[in-house]
Amino acid sequence: MVLTALPILLVDLVGSVLMIVFSFLCLDLVRMLKRKDPGNLIWTYLLWVCYGLGTFAVSRSAGHILKQILLLAGHEEIWSDIAAYSGTINTFTLILVASVTLFFERIWSIYGRILADKRALQAAHGELIFMNQNLEKLVAERTEALARSEKQMVQADRLASIGQLSSGIAHEINNPLGIILGYTQLMLRGEDRNSQKYEDLKIIEKHVKNCKAIVEDLLNFARSAPPAKEMVQIHEIIDEGINFIRHHSRLEDVEIVREYDPAVPPLYLDEKKVRQVLVNLMMNARHAVGAAGRIFLSTRWDGEQRLVAIRVEDSGYGIETKNLPRIFDPFFTTKPTGEGTGLGLSVSYGIIKNHGGEIEVESLPGEGAAFTVWLPAVLSEKTGYKTEYKKGPKGQKGRKGPDGGGGRIGEGQGEKIGEVQGERIGEVQGGRDGADDSHR
Amino acid sequence: MGAFLFLFSFLLISLLFPDSAIATQGHGGREGLYIHQLSHIFFFISMGILIYWLKNRRLTAKPGWRCIGYSAMFFILWTADAFLVHLLDEQLGIIRTERVGFLEIAIHTAPDHQWLGHLYYLAKLDHLFCVPALILLYMGLRGLVIGAEAEKQEG
Repeated sequence: MVLTALPILLVDLVGSVLMIVFSFLCLDLVRMLKRKDPGNLIWTYLLWVCYGLGTFAVSRSAGHILKQILLLAGHEEIWSDIAAYSGTINTFTLILVASVTLFFERIWSIYGRILADKRALQAAHGELIFMNQNLEKLVAERTEALARSEKQMVQADRLASIGQLSSGIAHEINNPLGIILGYTQLMLRGEDRNSQKYEDLKIIEKHVKNCKAIVEDLLNFARSAPPAKEMVQIHEIIDEGINFIRHHSRLEDVEIVREYDPAVPPLYLDEKKVRQVLVNLMMNARHAVGAAGRIFLSTRWDGEQRLVAIRVEDSGYGIETKNLPRIFDPFFTTKPTGEGTGLGLSVSYGIIKNHGGEIEVESLPGEGAAFTVWLPAVLSEKTGYKTEYKKGPKGQKGRKGPDGGGGRIGEGQGEKIGEVQGERIGEVQGGRDGADDSHR
Repeated sequence: MGAFLFLFSFLLISLLFPDSAIATQGHGGREGLYIHQLSHIFFFISMGILIYWLKNRRLTAKPGWRCIGYSAMFFILWTADAFLVHLLDEQLGIIRTERVGFLEIAIHTAPDHQWLGHLYYLAKLDHLFCVPALILLYMGLRGLVIGAEAEKQEG
């Protein structure tokens, strides 16, 4: 068959020219990449591929163009002499490109490893520089943290000892008190209400009841009774606490600000006991602010730690630094004799620890105080979030308040009280509602 | 030790019996064609492996490397086409061409294999594969340049 050679000729000539042009353009681009990042192994690889392709394209295309020209000019014998060289170079460069291409995976893997090592080195270098620049600061921070930790451990040990002692004494005293109260009440039945003896017995009964209340508080501090837990909304308990102190104190010039986190889930806890803690903290705040001031109540849900923070902050006169380590001690009070037993915060401490939580205090003298109660919550399949007994939140780390610890609370001045390993000695309900501002 | 003995024996035999020794081989035959055809097969395999690794490493998700993958595909088509042309007219010799005019060629095939002539004619237009392959390679490299610049700007 005889066919026109024009399409073949045109495609051959134009294609050959285009091949040369594009192979050089490719080479130019890769060289640009290489110039920008000379250490990049991938660009080196592509450069070799493009060198091979460029040589192949030039050799082949030049050969094709020359061939067409020579054939059209009728010099077939010249082409037959050149063809061997052109074909050899074509074959060689084709094998070269194919060989280099085969190394793609190895090159890529090596480059990946180089990059990973480089990143690791950079990170290590950065860390070293940081350590070098901040060594003194880091040592100071660690030393401070260690000192704080030791202080907390001592505090925790001390409170644990006090708890054991208190619970032992309370347990021993509780029975005789019960007997005295029982006999007193029996004797009261047979006495004339107008007699002097009746009045004396009533005085005995009143003081025995006071003693029993103190004993109950001591047992609460020692965490002797397991909490009767149920699902509750903590915000409702706080609101009830506020209503309680509104009825029992004059709050005309005291501003109460609430800031609740709507993300706080229902909590599984002993409503009565937690209410007692919150009322206690609120009453303390109320006494601290005096006739006029501000009480700030807030909650915050820490989803990551699964903790709920309840913060009671006041603008009162704060707590002296020397008293901070002792404010949770039973019978510790700065109030005049007869105005407080010094058990309110001890009882609160015991209740919160009994819920697997923690209670923290931050204060600067003259600038108010902030108490933060941390209660743990874990996700329950049936009931949603549920508190659990577990080790206190965040261990030795210091924690700041919901407002990020800013404002008037001085960093490093805050005090966190450690864990008390109290002994459970029996069932005691409640404790007294109302406040004991022994730490003021 | 065994290897040394083997080598020593081999050299000894070669020296003692030079007629049997393996001398430099001549290359006057059709080796050139075969090696060229093998280079096309090698190129075909090499491009196939490149495409496999590009997909395996999920590089085809990036525009630059995707174009390079397409370029490799066109190179595969081109090398297969070139292999076919060499096979038909040089290796098997079932096609014979001659220039019959300034712009006309005669394609001779076996009488009952006219279709081979048409196939050969089309296959001779191999630049329709290798030029797009190079254009795609160029586009792919441009994509890599743009990507590298963007990475540099992001820091």
